[in-house]
Amino acid sequence: METLFGIAVDGVAYGMILFIISVGLSVTLGLMRVVNLAHGAFAMVAGYVASFAAQGLGLPYAAALAGAVLLTVVATLPLERLLYRRIYGQANELAQVLLTIGLTFVIVAGINYLFGPTLKRIPLPEPLQGTLALGPKAIPTHRAFVIAVGVATILALWWLLERTDFGIRLRAAVDDPDMAAALGIRTERLYAATFALGTGLAALGGVLGAELLPLEPYYAIRYIVLFLAVVAVGGAGSIAGSAAAALALGVVDTAGKYLIPNFGEFFFYATLILILFRWPHGFFRGRAA
Amino acid sequence: MTALLDVEGLSKNFGGLQVSAGITLALHAGERCALIGPNGAGKTTFVNLVTGVLEPCAGTIRLAGETITRLPAEARVRRGLIRSFQVARLFRSMTVREHLELAVLEREGHTHRLFASVGRVPGLADEVAGLLDGMGLTAVAGTAVGRLAYGQQRLLEIALALALKPKVLILDEPAAGVPHAESHRILDALERLPPDLAVLMIEHDMDLVFRFARRIVVLAQGRLLCSGTAREIAADPRVREVYLGSRADVQPH
Amino acid sequence: MSAATNHAATASAPAHGGRASRPQRLRDGAAAPLLAALGLAAFWLFPDDLGLMTRILTAALYVLSLDLVLGYAGIATLGQAAMFGTGAYAAGIAAVHLVADPLVLLAVGGVAGGLIALATGTLILRGRGLTLLMLTIAVAQIVQEVANKARDLTGGSDGLSGIDPGPLLGLFRFDMYGRTSYLFALAVLLAGFLVARRIVRSPFGLACRGVREDPVRVAALGGSPKRLLVAMYAVAGVFAGVAGALSAVTSGIVGLDSLGFSWSAEALVMLVLGGTGRLWGAILGTVAFMTVHHLLAATDPFHWMLFIGLFLMGTVLFLPGGLASLADRFTRGDRP
Repeated sequence: METLFGIAVDGVAYGMILFIISVGLSVTLGLMRVVNLAHGAFAMVAGYVASFAAQGLGLPYAAALAGAVLLTVVATLPLERLLYRRIYGQANELAQVLLTIGLTFVIVAGINYLFGPTLKRIPLPEPLQGTLALGPKAIPTHRAFVIAVGVATILALWWLLERTDFGIRLRAAVDDPDMAAALGIRTERLYAATFALGTGLAALGGVLGAELLPLEPYYAIRYIVLFLAVVAVGGAGSIAGSAAAALALGVVDTAGKYLIPNFGEFFFYATLILILFRWPHGFFRGRAA
Repeated sequence: MTALLDVEGLSKNFGGLQVSAGITLALHAGERCALIGPNGAGKTTFVNLVTGVLEPCAGTIRLAGETITRLPAEARVRRGLIRSFQVARLFRSMTVREHLELAVLEREGHTHRLFASVGRVPGLADEVAGLLDGMGLTAVAGTAVGRLAYGQQRLLEIALALALKPKVLILDEPAAGVPHAESHRILDALERLPPDLAVLMIEHDMDLVFRFARRIVVLAQGRLLCSGTAREIAADPRVREVYLGSRADVQPH
Repeated sequence: MSAATNHAATASAPAHGGRASRPQRLRDGAAAPLLAALGLAAFWLFPDDLGLMTRILTAALYVLSLDLVLGYAGIATLGQAAMFGTGAYAAGIAAVHLVADPLVLLAVGGVAGGLIALATGTLILRGRGLTLLMLTIAVAQIVQEVANKARDLTGGSDGLSGIDPGPLLGLFRFDMYGRTSYLFALAVLLAGFLVARRIVRSPFGLACRGVREDPVRVAALGGSPKRLLVAMYAVAGVFAGVAGALSAVTSGIVGLDSLGFSWSAEALVMLVLGGTGRLWGAILGTVAFMTVHHLLAATDPFHWMLFIGLFLMGTVLFLPGGLASLADRFTRGDRP
């Protein structure tokens, strides 16, 4: 029972991190049709910035988190303008893959140059250390925090996309870009804003998840396949899909590590193939359509 | 005489919208028929249903007596039901000659051959030369299609269809986008089509329609409105009505 | 906007023997002898680097297989290593347990690579775009995981060793200086190049190029795009499998990285470096990539990543045709 509870908590926390990062990728893929392999690199950059802010500058955790997210978004916006805007669109997969792999390599090399190849930590503040009593059980406070932020992200995104003017325009543009442009929606600005949203989510996940996805220069390459898998299963542009896929993946992967340490990944990829074979546009998109 | 192409009660709904409502149409060998109608009448849907891009909700399609309603698009092509595309839809980096070679090779079922050289398939070079000559494309045979003038692309589109030795040829707006001064070249090419071929042309250019077609079929709101000779169609008040506002002058020359 | 891919496509129009323009005909006829001559020259000039150069030749055959898939059929894949690694393991296992003849081992690798490509291609090639990319990645990861778990056969993460091929044709032993290995690899690459050239100029190759540009149009000509794609995927699988077997035979070991994501991605980088849709572009790209890699990675792997990253971005933005397009511009002035 203890193990099962531990798996559930760790799995859900891990799934939330995957969700926060992947949903950013999902949103940009859904709108701009760009396979952004550098998404993991953006998450990593934010993690390193937060680590430097906390350890090098001695800023408090909350300030480091906010600063890292903000800085990453500001730093990547010129990239949207200079690089990404040239490769938007469905017919461009190869160019997208190459350009964003290239960008990833440059970021990996840059991070290594600035921070070195060793593992970096973001020290947790006092309140996030230790455990949180939950009736008879106790769960690590950091895990609880991550889960809470994940739930808040889901709700905030839901509100943003369903209830705000930005969300209405965004969904219109996803459904039919030409029609949206004809209605006078300024897609350029919308793209930039969406890109910033996606990067911001990557950054948030990168900082929060530093305990689970450790920060080192190869982070950007190591985890991108995971993020892509979540998006592929969840369906590009679907929040609920990303959330369900990320949570399922987090729990399965964690359970696999605890219970059947030899075949976790195998089952994961086999499931992925089955799902994509049956529903080529993602489990949730495929069934809704 | 049985029709080469025999369409009966062809219907298609998108959600609640009926875009094709029980269309019945027969096309005989050697016929020159035009399908006209205002925008949104369902002409393109009809072509897509007949050629197998879309699956009909009801109705049957027969080609030379054989029912092909559920066959995939490429199987219909292999039986001689060929279409050209509304917008020149060609392989931009391939040369004009390569297009025609590919079409002939597909027709002869040669494309599974891994180790044969295209240049050494017997009879291929002569047949392609004949097709090039027939459309006046010999001079640009080695040019990549992406660099071809638009009118020449349309001629290639027709040559491609002919290379497949069609029984029934569906031309989807063969003159669309071609400057008016050049459209006579398209008409010339169309007039030299094999006489026993059944041709159905979808076209907006009434000039071309009246010169080419012996029979005209009018489609409106997914239904067959009427059918007749150019003179009958031009005189029909219902045709004037559906075209009024969108394309007023329906006059034979 | 789609300039990159469009250029990559328009820049690749290999003409047929009989009526190609004169410089191109010369270049085509010269490609194979030139490759042989350069290969032999390198053999005399750099006798101490035969190991590295053998790896380059092996990789060139592997990248050639990716060119068939991507350059001539337009299948964007990040899983070509699945075929390479399968061929390598099949040949390696056969060498340890069954046969020693190097040519038989290459055949084993080729068959294994072709079969896995045929099986997985049938399954995944109806997908498009991101879905297809993910499926190719997933297939390679599964194959790698299977190889990792089948420890008794493959040696798992320790790798498969003890591959000791017999003399080539019963005459030439694989010597410790790697001379036989190098010349063997050169001969196999040359043969592969010639066969691949034959295939891309066949009716089948022409039809595949059609599918790359517009599958719907090919169907309207009576062709079956899915079947053409699966066939080309399988054919390329044979090439990749032979390359894997060649690597097993010449190096004596097979590791899990031969099935890895990076090896798939690197193949893509090498191909793009050389230029997609031309066979000698694949070879050129591999030689350039592996040589620079050897020089830069020896000092610091991160220098290498910076270089290749900047290079990739530059290629997409400024030189979509790869190195080969530079050579084209040089040899004939009429680039589209």
